[in-house]
Amino acid sequence: MDPAKLEHPTPGALAARNERPNSETDRSPVQIGQFLAVNSASHKRPQLTLDELLQLKWLLGGVLTLLGVWTVFYMDIDAWTLMALTTVATLAVLIRPTLPARVPAFVHLLAFPSIVTFFIADLWLTTEVLPAMVRLDILLLLYRSVSYRQRRDELQIIVLGLFLIVVAGVLTVALTFAAQLLIYTGCALAFLLAITLTDSTAGGRAGGVIPNAALPEADSARGGKDNAHHARTVPPGWAAHANWGQLFRRLREVTDWRVVLLGGLLFAGVVGISALLFLAIPRFQLENSMFLDRFISKKAKSGFNDTIRFGDVTEIQQDTSVALSVDVSNQAQIPATPYWRMLVLDQYEAGTFKLSPGLRRQEFGIARTGSLLRGEARPRLGAATYWTFYFESGVSRYLPLIGQFGELRFREAQNFQLAADLAIVALRDEPVTMTAYRVEGFDPFGVLPDPKFAERWRKREQAAQPLLAMQNRPVARGSERETLQRLVNEATGGAKLTAAAFVPRVGAWLRDNHRYTLAPRVPDGAGDPLVRWLNSREDGHCELFAGSFVLLARVAGFPARVITGFKGGTWNAYSNNFTIRNSDAHAWAEIFDETSGAWLRADPLGVSAGGQAEEAKGAAALAGRMDRSWGARLDSLRVFWYRRIVSFDQRSQAETLKAVKEATQNSGRRLRAAIERAAATLKAWIAEPWDARRLAVVLGALAALAGLWWLGRKFGRAGWRRLVGGHSGRHGDPVRREAGQWLARLREPAHDEGRMTNDEGARVVADLQRLRFGARATWPEPERVFRRARRALREARRQQRAENRPLRS
Amino acid sequence: MSDFVPAGQITEARQALDRLRANMRVTIRGKDDVIDQVLVCLVAGGHLLIEDLPGVGKTTLAYSLARSMDCVFSRIQFTSDLLPSDVTGVAIYDETVKEFVFKKGPVFANVVLADEINRATPKTQSALLEVMDRARVTIDGEAHAVGAPFMVFATQNPVDYEGTFPLPESQMDRFLMRLRMGYPESNDELEILRTARGGYDAIALNPVVTRSEVLALQSLAHEIFVEDSVLEFILKIVAATRTEADFRAGASVRGGVALRAAAQARALVNNRDFVLPEDVTALVAPIFTHRLGLARQTSDTLEERRAVTATLRRIVASVPVPG
Repeated sequence: MDPAKLEHPTPGALAARNERPNSETDRSPVQIGQFLAVNSASHKRPQLTLDELLQLKWLLGGVLTLLGVWTVFYMDIDAWTLMALTTVATLAVLIRPTLPARVPAFVHLLAFPSIVTFFIADLWLTTEVLPAMVRLDILLLLYRSVSYRQRRDELQIIVLGLFLIVVAGVLTVALTFAAQLLIYTGCALAFLLAITLTDSTAGGRAGGVIPNAALPEADSARGGKDNAHHARTVPPGWAAHANWGQLFRRLREVTDWRVVLLGGLLFAGVVGISALLFLAIPRFQLENSMFLDRFISKKAKSGFNDTIRFGDVTEIQQDTSVALSVDVSNQAQIPATPYWRMLVLDQYEAGTFKLSPGLRRQEFGIARTGSLLRGEARPRLGAATYWTFYFESGVSRYLPLIGQFGELRFREAQNFQLAADLAIVALRDEPVTMTAYRVEGFDPFGVLPDPKFAERWRKREQAAQPLLAMQNRPVARGSERETLQRLVNEATGGAKLTAAAFVPRVGAWLRDNHRYTLAPRVPDGAGDPLVRWLNSREDGHCELFAGSFVLLARVAGFPARVITGFKGGTWNAYSNNFTIRNSDAHAWAEIFDETSGAWLRADPLGVSAGGQAEEAKGAAALAGRMDRSWGARLDSLRVFWYRRIVSFDQRSQAETLKAVKEATQNSGRRLRAAIERAAATLKAWIAEPWDARRLAVVLGALAALAGLWWLGRKFGRAGWRRLVGGHSGRHGDPVRREAGQWLARLREPAHDEGRMTNDEGARVVADLQRLRFGARATWPEPERVFRRARRALREARRQQRAENRPLRS
Repeated sequence: MSDFVPAGQITEARQALDRLRANMRVTIRGKDDVIDQVLVCLVAGGHLLIEDLPGVGKTTLAYSLARSMDCVFSRIQFTSDLLPSDVTGVAIYDETVKEFVFKKGPVFANVVLADEINRATPKTQSALLEVMDRARVTIDGEAHAVGAPFMVFATQNPVDYEGTFPLPESQMDRFLMRLRMGYPESNDELEILRTARGGYDAIALNPVVTRSEVLALQSLAHEIFVEDSVLEFILKIVAATRTEADFRAGASVRGGVALRAAAQARALVNNRDFVLPEDVTALVAPIFTHRLGLARQTSDTLEERRAVTATLRRIVASVPVPG
């Protein structure tokens, strides 16, 4: 035998090459099998393995647990320890998925009895059902997060988390609820998808291929308590070599972005349809008092209260969160510097101003329940201005108002008390949700007429008791009173002034002696702190200024009181509303003017009643308050939420629908007008005399159109295919798919025998087969082949008809 | 797997195959489909098992192929006393050079006809089968490559089982395809009666294809493009044989690979540079019939093969063809 033959590859070696071209090594059948499997999948998108799916499921379960548990942040429920514990545990098992295996077996044995015991004890001790249920829910989540989950446990996590989110959302109506619900829903859907994928992947392989420990579900499916027990104490295969970075890389690799896009669009569509339903279904009023109780909402870190200690308002000022959003129907009515009054404090005692019980008794009416209340202001001429307030929860139970009002309407019925003369409205409880109310006929000037007090002031000599607004009890002591008297004289120059003149004079004197600061220092020493401060030249904050002013005014013989609330605010340029933050909290004074029988605003640090007129008003003033920051964009979202979702009542529903109708009608009208205009222009253009240049332009345009059409026909579909068919997905390459469809049509019995055997038919079929099954690089131009196929099919059908006709006749 | 085959190579292959086909038709009459399947087996580089009664032209088929190809042909008549060294060759002590010299056996050829392979003892059978698998003979630790190309035509009589050692399924797997010749049509047979002379030496055929051309065909067959859906089609058929209750066991992984390789070869034989699903369906029976055994007992091999073929046809009909 010729030795040269030995250099040729032998059939055996060629047989080896069957298994893998260009490979010189022999392969065992198992390797061949792997190669076959890999090869058949090599042109397809890679898929997650079972281990990776289980890992992904673990991750999503952890995220859902965290999302659910974190609702505690805005519920007023004592579950912080549990929340923190669950958060830590979930994060720990996310980082090290082998940890749950270390949980001793007796924990699993005792888990449910102890959780039930805890719940019963909790209920017994606190006698509050909902908080106990929330704590139970968190406890269950905690347990679920530290043990390997079977499928029903996975579903339990979704339900438990959903309970927390819905409870927190319904009870607080916060914007966060919407965001959290959306994120939660998205995560839950992904979670369910992962569960389904895991099941189908695990189901595809018969049992035995997957080791027991790798798949707790498989264990439970096979039943047996021992198995389940085993699954809990031995870390499953995926957990032993879990690598998050690797998982994320793989996720990015296997994600088909078109599917993600489609899923996203579907999700957005569902949200959109829900929004439409929300828009369309009839409104009905849920009475606020029905089931909302104040046990669950988060309280603000600070808040306005009946008593104000020095520093309280300043403390509130540290908080920059939104306290109040106000819609104003007529911007011209907005004062340059609005003062949002909330509470009147008349009694001073040892450094503390408070609402005296006497004033409370005297001014606050009986508690009422309802949604409408009438104020003291008389309606004025001209169009009414509506002020819609969206008052955040956790600020105060006293509603911010600008002054006397004509009518105040709550969105939902409330329990409230009205102090008509003080122009103060107090809710029975601090609201747990955002409170919306609309005010009509505001008297937005710094003057508050009070005829009853004027009457009492006139008759003060006959009164048995000193007037409430004059109760300066601790300062009544000799030395301090003398000090104050001396300071009043110093401020006024000893002249006897009217209240209107007293305000600017003393305000200026205070500002000359003290500067404004957020970190004041009250000098040490004995006696009243406010007098000590007044007597020094230390810097101070608004409460010190306002309090001092009230003391001085009272010593000078004017009734005076401290007012707390907000001053100013910003104008949100995106949603066109006032935004008042907690940092706008302010304290100022009011002083009684005998001549007009009204209380005058006296703000030693800003605009007093007299100065109001000189300041710019309305839109001009708003220009200075414009807020176009990113924070304002977020706040506008919040206002949208309040205006269009939370406070979406029948009236706003009607308004919205009307606006939509008008917008549709208008756009239709505009479109018709535009078409008519275009038609008229065209007619005029055609009517003009024709010359060579115009003809050339028209012909050129036609040629360009024809060229575009030709280009589109030639490359359009191919380009589209390239765009959508980057690589073969489940249904394969679009060209292959279309070629397959043409082949099937040509193969139909009616067109098969005899008709496709002509040369052109055979050639078309061969080309289609090449497009369907051939290598891409050898493809003829698909569009042309498809056109020929269309022609061949038509031809075949024509022939068939021609043959059938004689038969029928 | 490179993506496509240059058209020039396909044309050359087509010409070579056409010459082969025409040449073989001179002696094998009325059996064009059998010739095509033999060519598929040759191009795929596999071995062929022909099960049929004696005297229907098995040897003529092998001989005419070998003659058409400018190849060395050898024939081994298997009997129960045949020894492995009778097949592979033996090392003999040579007095002149004072060492063992390897005398090559009949297996050192390009086309080997192993006649009535089931008559030999398993030991001898396995000697041949090893050569088929490895394409080399190892004697005294020394490897001797057999011819290239190397193709074994094994025949066995499916009816006469007296004194035979049937090949176990594992060894059946070594054969790429299994064929039946069948009797020729009557007018073809008339022509045979008219022209045939006794003795194979009387077959006068000139070689029309060189050995290197055959090797080129074989390597070209590996380059034939197989689209993913066709691979999946193969996979589904293979999977269906594994879940079929009629079969003792399903097709092996090697069976799947063989089906793919044969489909590629068939595409080339039919002048295509890509595989069609019909290449697969046409080859399922020749590739799988001898590899699969029925779960139930049958009276003889012929009946078993028929039942297996029918089941395979049912399976192929049930698996959706990619379209």
